[in-house]
Parts: sequence; structure tokens; C-alpha cells
Amino acid sequence: MTETTQSTDAEQAAESTQTTGIDIEGGTGQPLEVTSGETREQTRDEWVEYEFDGAAKLAVEDLDVYYGDDHALKSVSMEIPENSVTALIGPSGCGKSTFLRCLNRMNDRIKAARIDGSVALEGEEIYQDGVNLVELRKRVGMVFQSPNPFPKSIRDNISYGPRKHGDLETGFLAGLLGRSDDDAVDDLVERSLRQAALWDEVQDRLDDNALGLSGGQQQRLCIARALATDPEVLLMDEPASALDPIATSKIEDLVHELAEDYTVVIVTHNMQQAARISDQTAVFLTGGELVEYGETEQVFEDPESQRVEDYISGKFG
Amino acid sequence: MAGAVESSLVNEDTSGTETIAASAVGLAAVLFALSLAALFEFVAITDPIAGVSMVVLLGALLVVLGAAVVAFGVGSRLGYVATQPRPSAGLVASVAFAGLWFVVGGLVASQTLGLGTVGWGATALVTGGVAFAATALPREDIGSTLPAGSLAILTGVIFLAGIIGPSWVWDLGWEQQASFNAEFAIPVVTAFCSLLAGWASAKAYGGFGARGRHVGAYVLVYLNALSIIAVLFLLVAFTVLKGLPGLFNGLAFGPGAGPETTLFGVTFTLPVSWPFVMNGVALLNDINGVLPAIVGTIWLVIGAVVFAVPLGVGAAVFITEYAERGRFTQVVEVATNGLWSTPSIVFGLFGLAFLVPRLGNGKSLLAGMLTLGFMLLPLVVITSREAMLAVPDEYRDASAALGVSKWQTVRSIVLPAALPGIVTGIILGVGRIAGETAPILLTMSGSVAPPGSQTVDVIGGFEFTTAPPFVDNPELLQATSALPYQLYSLITAGVGQSSNIANIDEFRWATALILLVVVLSFYAVGIATRYYFRRKLQHE
Ligand SMILES: Nc1ncnc2c1ncn2[C@@H]1O[C@H](COP(=O)(O)OP(=O)(O)O)[C@@H](O)[C@H]1O
Ligand SMILES: [Mg+2]
Repeated sequence: MTETTQSTDAEQAAESTQTTGIDIEGGTGQPLEVTSGETREQTRDEWVEYEFDGAAKLAVEDLDVYYGDDHALKSVSMEIPENSVTALIGPSGCGKSTFLRCLNRMNDRIKAARIDGSVALEGEEIYQDGVNLVELRKRVGMVFQSPNPFPKSIRDNISYGPRKHGDLETGFLAGLLGRSDDDAVDDLVERSLRQAALWDEVQDRLDDNALGLSGGQQQRLCIARALATDPEVLLMDEPASALDPIATSKIEDLVHELAEDYTVVIVTHNMQQAARISDQTAVFLTGGELVEYGETEQVFEDPESQRVEDYISGKFG
Repeated sequence: MAGAVESSLVNEDTSGTETIAASAVGLAAVLFALSLAALFEFVAITDPIAGVSMVVLLGALLVVLGAAVVAFGVGSRLGYVATQPRPSAGLVASVAFAGLWFVVGGLVASQTLGLGTVGWGATALVTGGVAFAATALPREDIGSTLPAGSLAILTGVIFLAGIIGPSWVWDLGWEQQASFNAEFAIPVVTAFCSLLAGWASAKAYGGFGARGRHVGAYVLVYLNALSIIAVLFLLVAFTVLKGLPGLFNGLAFGPGAGPETTLFGVTFTLPVSWPFVMNGVALLNDINGVLPAIVGTIWLVIGAVVFAVPLGVGAAVFITEYAERGRFTQVVEVATNGLWSTPSIVFGLFGLAFLVPRLGNGKSLLAGMLTLGFMLLPLVVITSREAMLAVPDEYRDASAALGVSKWQTVRSIVLPAALPGIVTGIILGVGRIAGETAPILLTMSGSVAPPGSQTVDVIGGFEFTTAPPFVDNPELLQATSALPYQLYSLITAGVGQSSNIANIDEFRWATALILLVVVLSFYAVGIATRYYFRRKLQHE
């Protein structure tokens, strides 16, 4: 008991000296902020360099995000290879979700957010005038932390995106004009649900309300819904954090399979999960810094940064 | 657990005493029902029931009930009945009983004993103080039964002794000549005493203590809810009973019985003849009816809804989904709330001064529709906005992440999810406007007892013209009647007595009943719609 108290006191003392003396400049040119338990060190640029074959699907360069005066992401640069799983890990509040939302410009919806820097999808800058957000989000789909199916039937949930994009015509008028794509809808629903490993469970109840599904089923439905618009990139923000272990492992298997055809970027706070399913891992630490990025095996077994090693071994976070 | 009184988990041997307490609760409920029936004149207080007059019966029952309550309390105190009372009945009960007995003491002293101001003041203070002490000082079993039970006994004795009898009147002696008569006072006092004694016996049934308080509160809440439902039911039943004879006057079935009708160009005779809803008022009618007013009311509501709902929902979409939340939306909110609270006669005057001169310079159905539409508008805005704000942002995020534009998200996700709430608002609003008299009086009322030939035919009234705007509908610009307005003029102005309406009272009640039916039908349609949309949103 006494020892713990003492060590906490010591940490707090150390922390207060650190916060008063933040004159040390990090490798990114930003003042270094640390939480208690973290060692002090400067981030080096080579830690976030990751070499891979082929072209980058997404290339992020010098990305800064501010929420009002709060500097949430600090000069993040990374390249994400095609058809692979990229895991983003780090303690909560370090900007993982913020980073993810930059990749399909969902941050545009947050009034306080201001974004500097560049994100390129297959070499095309998405932060420039004249970007078609509909097209961008069709190509970069997203799955949220808590399952959020629409209060509609399973079928309508899946076909919602393509119908609103005008790729599928359904309804009364289309039926009258003989242009109805009902068969195409059925195909799409089946294909998407199979891809999301949900078809067997729901094939008899496609017209039931999606809110009647279990949490894990709802999340897979959300994945199927995102896949229905035929994206190239799939962004997932802690997709399994609200689910039980069995549902979680189903989602993990699914992510693994999806990586054959899609570029998956997944945020997780579960390090075992990141180690299991990802090809490369990016570690964000307090203050919105990308500290280390590389092949998953290397990051977990032989991290270059002492802070990352401490974080992975559970010393803080 | 020092100091806590152990009470057994399972009470044994409670059947006998519990039965007595339960019968006391039942007796209180019966008394309550009887007094309600007497209040609404289903039974007169002088009616003999089982050989005794109603007042005597009420008095006797009150004495029995009060005695049972007091006996139970005393029995519990002396240990004959197993209960778990608290040390005191509590401050709330003490203050309530003190106030009650203060009033009772004052009334008895001033009215029955005829004491002067000082006399009754002193008596009231003494009785109030005694009641306070009797509630607060002894254990809970005495404190909550004795004041309640003795009040019931006292009231019963007063009834039995004829101090308050059927012919009793208490003239308050005010300039306005207000007075309480026995028909009102006896049921109200009985209802009150039975509530009180019912509460006390329910507490006794629960064995006092925490469980007793729970049961007591439960009985109070239950009886209260029941009486509200009963009042509602009585109101409707009263109107129905009074209205039915006039409504079905001259109803006849059989082929060819009804009037000739033309619908979509096909002429046929209806197999029923229902004069009250198929006729207007005319000298040659055997039985007069209110057809023009029924049709007028229905078109009025439809017109107002068609005008107000798209505008209101549109405004709500704009201020919830598009406008920046800030000063502007606040102003709109205050303005809509204010508009909804604006008295209807003000809307009527606006219609008269602004709409009537612009729409053919005469009172017209269209002016009435628009005026009522303006009245409905703020409620539609308020409820639609609330309903849309209640739609979770997750839906909007999910839709945006699929690359769906804002307008399509609003149309396909937000509005369907908000529809049940929007429909609720429309239901409430229609309930209000369908019964409005003042705006109709000022903007659309024509003849107070229109003949059947003046029934508006909005659909048939559309005509195509060669000049813009190419359609014309003279029916919309005609003055017509509506049910609340017709009822109002039938009652206040005594209109109709001069024409050949045979039984004017029957006619009025039948009109009231028809108004009730029309409004409730709109309700039913609204509730069915809401149910339908809700089912679509929820699983199961
Ligand atoms: N909508 C927002 N408005 C203001 N600040 C925000 C908003 N979203 C996130 N932040 C801030 O940005 C930082 C990073 O948050 P986030 O990206 O959600 O972290 P993570 O997902 O890693 O837990 C936090 O300090 C948080 O308070
Ligand atoms: Mg997050």
C-alpha cells in the first residue's frame, strides 16, 4: 500500500516538473506532452518511415487537426499500402478517431475542427476545392464504434447507399416504368451480407427491422452496408469495442478476409487484436503524435521508441 | 444493525385481520364510487336505496368505515393486530390532518353551533392543534388512523342526524349569492372522507411502516387515476346519452330509403336514410340535420392540415437541420411558442382583417382554413422540431459516411424516424382547431342553420378556366358553417327556435355528439397513422 502511494506521488512530482518544463522540442517541432508513467524522449522521423512494395493507397502528409485551440493531431505523415490491414493504436484521446475521420473528410461535419495538411487517395488530393464528397465517401467507407443501423429493414439498410446514389432504382415509379432493379437489389443484399459473414443468420428475415438484430449482428450489418457501396478503403473505428468476445472474433476474422480486396484501416485499443489482425501498425501517443509506424511484428516485438515499448508492455495508457 | 427492529420475512396468521382491512379499503372504494355517481346525478341523494335514503346510507357507511379504521389502529396499538408501525406518522400527515381538522372545527363551530369569529377561530385552532398532536405524537398506527377515522365518523353522524340533509343549503352570504347545496356538498364531502379513510385502511392493510405507506400511496394514486378516467368517461357518456335520440331520429334502412347521391358521375340511392347527418335545416324537412356543418368541419380541418403541415415541417427541417444553432433558432423557438399560446380570437381577428378582404371580400371556407392553418402552424413546427432533434446523430453520421447528401438524409432517414412525433403534434393540433369557434365566427360563418343545399362541394367545385391560374373553385370562397359554430349559435342566440326544428334541445345535444364523433375520428385516424409509422421503425 505505502509503496504504491509513494510511487504515485513520485510520478505526480515528475509530471509536474515535466509540464512546467516543456521546453524540449519533439522531432516534429511540437512541445512534448506526456502522461504520468511515460518516459521523455524525442520522436524521430525514421520511426514513422515504413517501406513497402507497390504504391500507397492513402498518403497522408503533415496533417494537423485543431479543435478550436486544441491541437489534436500534430503533423502526422504516413503512407498506407493497398489491400492490407493497418491498425491504429494508442491511449484514448490521442487522436486515432480524429485521424481516421480525416481520411474520408468526416471531420468536415464537426464545426470546431480545422484541418491542415494533405491526404491523397491514389495520388489525388482529397483536401482541395472541387472534391466530390459523395464520390470520396463511396470510395472510402466507414464503420463506427457503436453499431448504428438505420431503423429500417435489413434489406433497406444494405441497399440504402446505392439507391441514394442512383445506382439502383426501386420503388413504385421505377416498377411502373419497368426500370426496377429489384433483382439487382436482391443480388447486392446477398453479396454484401455474405461478405460480412451475416447471410446465413439473416437470410430468412431480410424484411425485419435491423434494430431487432443482436449487437454483433448489427455491427456486421453496418459493415455489409458500407461494403454495398463498393468502396476501396474501409475505415473502422473500434468496431468491436461494444461487442462480446464471440462477436469480436467474428469481426476480426472478417477484417482479415476483407483485406484481400479492400484496404482496411482499423482503430483499436486492444493491442492483442491489433497484433492478430494487422499487417502494419501505427502507434499514436498522447498529444496527437504519430510516434511509430511499421510492420506489426516489428512494432510489437522490437519497437524503436521507448515510449511505444512502455505503452505496449502496459506501463501506461 | 443495532436499533433496527427485526420483522419476520413471511408474515404468518394475517388472514383474519388483513381481510378486515381489505374490506375497509373496498368499502372506501364503494363509497367513493357512490359519491361520484351522486355528484354526476346518476343517483339523486334523496333516492331511496334498500329502503333508506341515499344520504342516510352514505352517513351509515361512513360511520362503519371510520369505526373500522379507528378500531384497526387501536387494535394495532394494543397489540391485537401484528403490524410494524413507525414511531410517528410523519410531518406531512400531521400538517395535512391539522389543516383538515382546523377547517372542520371552524365550520362546525361557525355554521352548526353559530359561534362568532372569535369563537370559531378558537375552536378551529384547538381542533387543528389536537389533530396535529394526535397525528404527530403517538405511534404511526394511531397517528394515521385516528384523525382519518374520526373525521369519517363525524361526517357520517352529521349526515345521519340530518344536520346536513337533502334540503341543506349553505348560503355564503356573498354579494354574488354563491351557495353550496346538498346535491353538491354531500357527494364531495363523502368522496373526500372515503379517500382519506381508504388511505388509512390501506396503510393498515400493509401493516403500517414502509409497506403500509407503499400500499396507502398506491390506493390514493389508483383511486385518483380511476376518478380521472371516470370523469372523462362520464363526460363522453353524458353527451352520448343526451345526443343519441336526436342523432338517430328518423333513421331508416332499406333499398331506396336514402337520398339520391351522385359520386364520380354515378347516381344512386343510398340504402340508409339518416336525416340528422344527411339533411340541412329547411322548412320543408321532416327532420332537420347538420350536414353542411359536418362537411364544413371536415373540409376545414383537411384544409388547415394541408396548409400547415408542409409549411410547418419544412420550417422545422430548416431550423433543425440547416440553420446554425444560435440566436436565430432561439428567436424562432420563442416566436413559435408564443404563437401557439396566442388566443384563438386573435387569430380570428387577423383572419378577418387580413385574409377576408383579400379572398373575395367576404367570409369564406378558404379564409377559415387558412386562419386555422395559421393556428396549427406553430404546434407543427414545435413538435416536428422536437421529434427531429430526438433522432440520434448516429443515423446522420452513418448516412453521411455512405456519401449520401444532406437533403436525402433528411428525407430518407430523419423524417421517417421523426414521423411518429410529427403525427402526434398534428393530432394534438387538430384536436384544438376542430373545436375552435371564435376564428370561424369571424372568418367563415355563413347562415347559422344552413339548408342541405348549401353543403360545400369542394371536389365538385373545381373548374378549369381559360385565364390564369386556370383553376377556380367558387365553393372555397363561399361562407359555410362548422359544427362548433353552429352549436354555439344554437345555444347562445337561440337560433333555430324560429325555424321548424322540433326539439331544439335534442338537436343541440345531437350536434354536440356529432362534433365529438368528428373530432374523435380525426384522432383515430391520427393514432392509427402514428401506430403504422411506429411499427415500421421498431422491430416487432
Ligand atoms: N468533436 C470534437 N470537438 C472537440 N474536440 C474533440 C472532438 N473530437 C475529439 N476531440 C478532441 O480531440 C482529441 C482526440 O480525440 P479522438 O480522436 O476522439 O481520440 P481517440 O479516438 O484516440 O480516443 C481529444 O483530446 C478530444 O478531446
Ligand atoms: Mg476514438
